[in-house]
Amino acid sequence: MSTDWLSSALVFGLFEVVMYIGMGFLLHMQLGLAGIGNFGVVGFWGLGMYAYGIIYGGHAPSGTDLIIDIPWPFGDPWQAIASVILATLVAGLGGLLIGWIISGMDLDGQLVGTFGFAAIVFLLARSQKGLTGSEGGIGGLDFPYDIGSEKANAMLWLLVASAIVIAIGYYTWRVHRSPYGRLLIATGQNEPLARSLGKPSNLTKLWMFTVTSAGMGLLGAMFAVIVHFLTPLKLGVDVTLAVIVALILGGAARVWGPVIGVLLTVGLFEIVVQLYAPFPDSWYRQAMPVVKQIIYGMSLIVVLMYRPLGILGDMRRDKLMRSIHGD
Amino acid sequence: MLEVRDLRSGYHGVTVIKGLSLEVGNEVFTILGANGAGKTTLLATMARLIPLMGGELLFEGEDISKVPPWESAARGIGYVPQEKGLFPELTVGENLNVGGMIGDRDRQERVDEIYELFPDLAVLEDQLAGTLSGGEGRMLACGRALMQDPKMLLLDEPTAGLSPLYVDMFFESVTKIHETRGVGIVLAEQNATKALEVADRVMVLSLGEAFVIEEAGNLTTEQLKEGYRI
Repeated sequence: MSTDWLSSALVFGLFEVVMYIGMGFLLHMQLGLAGIGNFGVVGFWGLGMYAYGIIYGGHAPSGTDLIIDIPWPFGDPWQAIASVILATLVAGLGGLLIGWIISGMDLDGQLVGTFGFAAIVFLLARSQKGLTGSEGGIGGLDFPYDIGSEKANAMLWLLVASAIVIAIGYYTWRVHRSPYGRLLIATGQNEPLARSLGKPSNLTKLWMFTVTSAGMGLLGAMFAVIVHFLTPLKLGVDVTLAVIVALILGGAARVWGPVIGVLLTVGLFEIVVQLYAPFPDSWYRQAMPVVKQIIYGMSLIVVLMYRPLGILGDMRRDKLMRSIHGD
Repeated sequence: MLEVRDLRSGYHGVTVIKGLSLEVGNEVFTILGANGAGKTTLLATMARLIPLMGGELLFEGEDISKVPPWESAARGIGYVPQEKGLFPELTVGENLNVGGMIGDRDRQERVDEIYELFPDLAVLEDQLAGTLSGGEGRMLACGRALMQDPKMLLLDEPTAGLSPLYVDMFFESVTKIHETRGVGIVLAEQNATKALEVADRVMVLSLGEAFVIEEAGNLTTEQLKEGYRI
């Protein structure tokens, strides 16, 4: 079967959609289940991304090594796999630290605390030349295999990322139906009361935040491989905004909320508009990023005004309301 | 069963409970007192939701002054706060299930017992807790705490704001819970008349101190008035 229609740009667009769906699942568990505000999604994602670049052995654009240079006893793909695992652990440790710091805070404090964390990651990426390559970034992050062409390599990486995101989605679905998930929901809704349920709700919440932050780091590490080159410009707040907008648009309390939300936002812009809309090239470079943020913002306002629980909303509540008031 | 020794507690450095000592066994122990007497603070401290400023808290002979709230619950202290005693976005059934996360007995068996005690809840099983009426909500909060199979149940003004019908029903349930399940009950109440009907012993709390601790039948109107500072 011919795959000519599947351009490299489309593969990259699909990768972004898949990655944001994964991030949406993870943020859904943090915000939709446990009620933890995270305005620093890009920080955990970026930590995983940069940790991968550093651990894997990426180098500054000039070709000089970074100060951390691990003498890997084996090559790819094991070097990349080990680097992804370690980058995930680094992001998880970041999640553990920040989760512990914000555990006693209210939602406002959590949002500020996580935003601060993202700012720290950004500043480290921008200022620590020996560690992160500073503005010059980190390069030399090729696919850990070669199956013929760049597009084929990217397609395989997309499949790997899709499998990981499906696993994250399945985990999310299982959490929803487990006693652990109910404890998380209970903690998110009424934390003081949840403390008297006989289970260490604060530790449950911290563990969940750690695991989901590690998941964001994993997706960041996956992204590092497909872009090959990391710069601080990738750590913009737009990453966090895209995940939050998609989640709220789709429905923060529903498992499928992030999927619907990402398809309507990232999918629409990064695939439909970017690849198929008949606009001049200059428009994509200059206007689209701005138009995209404006439309995201307006969609958020409209959804919060008319459908605060998102497009999918809380179907259980909708069903109940229909049974009371009729269709 | 539950012993309080020279207990001091409060919020943000303000001492609300000022050196209180009492013992509660397997009985219905009622705490009466005016608004601001410290009833809610005392119960929340007993449930370990507020840290002690001083004194000791013992349950079944063991010091629980420093254990986290989830551990005091696991040891057998159930707590029903005056407000926000539910998880509003969970259904009635899910609230009960969350309450029953600890304990060895079959969870469904416990749910059935709660539905037997509060039949209205069985009908509302799939309804979100946030949509319940005040009385239904209190029943559910109480049922959720009972799902933990507590040895001691702390009820903070469970009938506040309820219609007379629900008040009568609730006090009947308190007696039933104590008699059929053998659960010790600490009941903080403003409704002195009703509370005294079901109580074995009573304490009148006044400005964070025990004004009087007495057998319920021996409490005089004068003691009550003086304790309420009327």
